[in-house]
Amino acid sequence: MDLLLTGVYVLFFPGFFTILFLGLISSWIERKVTARVQYRKGPPLLQPFYDVIKLLGKETILPAQGSRLVFVLAPLLGFVGISLVGVILMLQPLLQVSFVGDLIVVVYLLTLPSLALIIGGAASGNPLASQGASREMKLVLAYELPFLIAIALIVYKAGFKIDLQSLSATPVMGSVSGILAFIVVLLCVQAKLGFTPFDIAEAETEIMSGPYIEYSGPLLSVFKLTQSLMLFTLPVFIITVLWGGIHFYGWGILWSAVKYVVILVIIIVIKNTNPRIRIDQALKFFWVYCSLLAVIAFGLAVVGRAYGIAWL
Amino acid sequence: MKLDVLILLLNIFLPFAAALLLFLIPKKVKWLQELLTLLVTVFCLAGAFRFFLFNIQIKYTLLLFSLGNFEFAFDIGTNSLNSFMLLFTTGFAFLISMYSLRYMKGKEKRKSYYIFLLTALGGASGVFVSNHLLVFLLFWEVVSISLYFLITTGGKGSRQGATKTMAMIGAADGCLLLGIGILWYISQLMYLDVITLPINSWLSAACFVLLMIGAITKAGAMPFHSWVPKAADKAPAPVMALLPASIDKLLGIYLLFILCTKVFILPQGLLLTLMIIGGITIVAAVMMALVQHRLPHLLSYHAISQVGYMVLGIGTGLPLGIAGGLFHMLNNAIYKNCLFLCAGAVEHKTGTTELEKLGGLAKAMPVTFISCLIAALSISGVPLFSGFVSKWLIYQGLISGGHGYLLIFLIAAMFGSALTLASFIKVIYSVFLGRTSSVSKKVKKDVPLSMQLPMLVLALLCILFGVWYTLPLNAFINPATGTVPAAIGSWNSILAVILLAGGLVIGLLIYLAGRMFKKARRGSSYVGGEELPAEQARVPGTDFYDSIRSMQPLSAVYKIQERGALDPYNWFGRLGLWCSGLLKKIHNGMLPLYTFWTLLGMGILLLLFIL
Repeated sequence: MDLLLTGVYVLFFPGFFTILFLGLISSWIERKVTARVQYRKGPPLLQPFYDVIKLLGKETILPAQGSRLVFVLAPLLGFVGISLVGVILMLQPLLQVSFVGDLIVVVYLLTLPSLALIIGGAASGNPLASQGASREMKLVLAYELPFLIAIALIVYKAGFKIDLQSLSATPVMGSVSGILAFIVVLLCVQAKLGFTPFDIAEAETEIMSGPYIEYSGPLLSVFKLTQSLMLFTLPVFIITVLWGGIHFYGWGILWSAVKYVVILVIIIVIKNTNPRIRIDQALKFFWVYCSLLAVIAFGLAVVGRAYGIAWL
Repeated sequence: MKLDVLILLLNIFLPFAAALLLFLIPKKVKWLQELLTLLVTVFCLAGAFRFFLFNIQIKYTLLLFSLGNFEFAFDIGTNSLNSFMLLFTTGFAFLISMYSLRYMKGKEKRKSYYIFLLTALGGASGVFVSNHLLVFLLFWEVVSISLYFLITTGGKGSRQGATKTMAMIGAADGCLLLGIGILWYISQLMYLDVITLPINSWLSAACFVLLMIGAITKAGAMPFHSWVPKAADKAPAPVMALLPASIDKLLGIYLLFILCTKVFILPQGLLLTLMIIGGITIVAAVMMALVQHRLPHLLSYHAISQVGYMVLGIGTGLPLGIAGGLFHMLNNAIYKNCLFLCAGAVEHKTGTTELEKLGGLAKAMPVTFISCLIAALSISGVPLFSGFVSKWLIYQGLISGGHGYLLIFLIAAMFGSALTLASFIKVIYSVFLGRTSSVSKKVKKDVPLSMQLPMLVLALLCILFGVWYTLPLNAFINPATGTVPAAIGSWNSILAVILLAGGLVIGLLIYLAGRMFKKARRGSSYVGGEELPAEQARVPGTDFYDSIRSMQPLSAVYKIQERGALDPYNWFGRLGLWCSGLLKKIHNGMLPLYTFWTLLGMGILLLLFIL
């Protein structure tokens, strides 16, 4: 019976299908808000679902060059990785299950979608996809440094805890260093999502979607699903490690939803008000400015702890 | 004499005997060298396996002579730490000799290759089981010298790398000898299992540092790393796989481990030094790897970078970190061995290791590709592969220390892991994926089975140790460290595998729902509607990270490094030249000056006598 229940949790609620549904809804919100910012009407609520179903019906074209097996399997890698993160993040508040070090597991799993994109693009044998894959990898390197510093800061503020349960119990946001960490992580999430100004790897107008260029039909639909899953999972990750976690009971549900929507809207607004930057600019932005911000936050936190100043 | 002791002695001396026999066999005899080497390694593996499986702990002492306090004894023994070292050393030697059957076929220096492979095996086995410090050093030297000769089997141009290797390792071995001397002076003891020395004076600290230099040079940590890439230049791939990638790591980290946990009681300052060495090694070496253009160079910089994790783990001085460091040593030996073998397979087939000339080999060499991919994911620390688990233990060790400054090392280690991934994306892309180059077009078949098997076995171990990580931890690491780390997080990898499989099934269902496999069609690449000529459509992976290389201030650092200004080998070289230059100036051939020097010397001597 327990096994069955766990299966239901993992697969249906609050697991896989729930996050898939919420992810697709989030991508609708994203498109709708974008449309409103641009004075358009925007798509209907079910448009992301239609898109996926339509892609499933389309013909698949496999590249004549490159490695077909890797090309077909790569989308699944990212899809599985991000689903796993989603399930871990959602099961934790509901069942209060957590294991020591799951933070590190989640941080590592969060790179899998990028890895999938890179390997898939590299396997397609298309020069533009190779270009995009190279950019995506550099982007990962760029944002990973400030991201890790911010994560280390969070671990420090939470008293050297690395399980999600303790982290979600200690909201880090209530201090200056916490807010700085929030900004840094948010920018990194923007890059992880591949949203403007960091859509360098895809760059539709320049290298025609980069790694995605050869993907079509069901393969592309899996990538699209991965993207919507990320759009849901990454804000939830921010809430879990920085903003007191999400809750499934009473007013906590509403409060969690509000937090989620706030983060989503910030991401969408950044996306719609910035131009795309070049990869060398992104490297500099993350390695110099963002990391500096994260280091300053770390310094503040250390000072705050040493002198017992809580608001630092 | 008991049977166990006999087997242990055979494990050490049979390779030497076989090497001597090989020396006598004329070069022209075919297959005998290979067969003998294979048989000896099989025997040694079986012996080591027996020690490990039945947990046989023996001790055998043969007193050769004693002089006052000093005893010189051939003192060997097995315990749970060195029997697992022995097991993996012989295991690697077996796999390599299997791989070499075809790899070394028809090579000019085949004979000396097999001779020194065997002496290296015997020497390494000797190091692990010997308890007397001088015997330890003796065997240690045997491995160093074997490495020199093994590198020279690479043929033309390999001697340069071998000389540099010998110079650096030799100097480190000198440090080791000096350290052992000081250790004797302080403690009047020569047996490893009885020495426990608190570091309470400058002399004992110097002693530790000297011994540590010997250990980390062997393992290849910074700043004494530069022999690894130089040796990789021309040395045969299996040599790199066997010694610098696996056995040298085992030796160096084994020594470091017993120094840090058994022989010395370390103060915080020295532990911090170790951690700083580890942290810098991780990031600096992988940054170098990122911009390499040749496969052996790239891999050897990773071999250096990975040592950083082990040194960092052991440097934490905490049970979790030490267990992580030791586990990482094991994992690294496995996947790095596999990677070098894959590089060797690629070289065997294409005749080149230039990343620029390769590409698209995944179709022609599927087994090599899959093994290389698994090893690459493992070294990058992707979850469910072995590298992840040991890195994860090291991270936990760092965090469980509960100090803010430890988090700096955590960031360095985790960021190094991302850089490693990036570097291996470059390898996977430029060797196996992407478009087929003119060189790789000629490759039609994968390497022969005897070369595939070792790679596959190692790749499987990577997955096995990643998923069922409790198995190696309980079998090797925990008995070796003698403690079971308490606060160990139980990353439920089996559940993760089930979830992953579930996710894969869902993904495949999506594919099936789209009736993808029926409708699939092959089409050539779309490049904005243009038809590109084959060579133009190829994007070599070598310039993947050019924008990192050209970024200020990194580009300046890269330039300085390329001039060799950060290499202690060059510092000492220059120092030597400067000294000899000084001496040259003194020798100007003028008689009055020589007379003056003589008189001055006599005057000083006279002064000394009077005082």
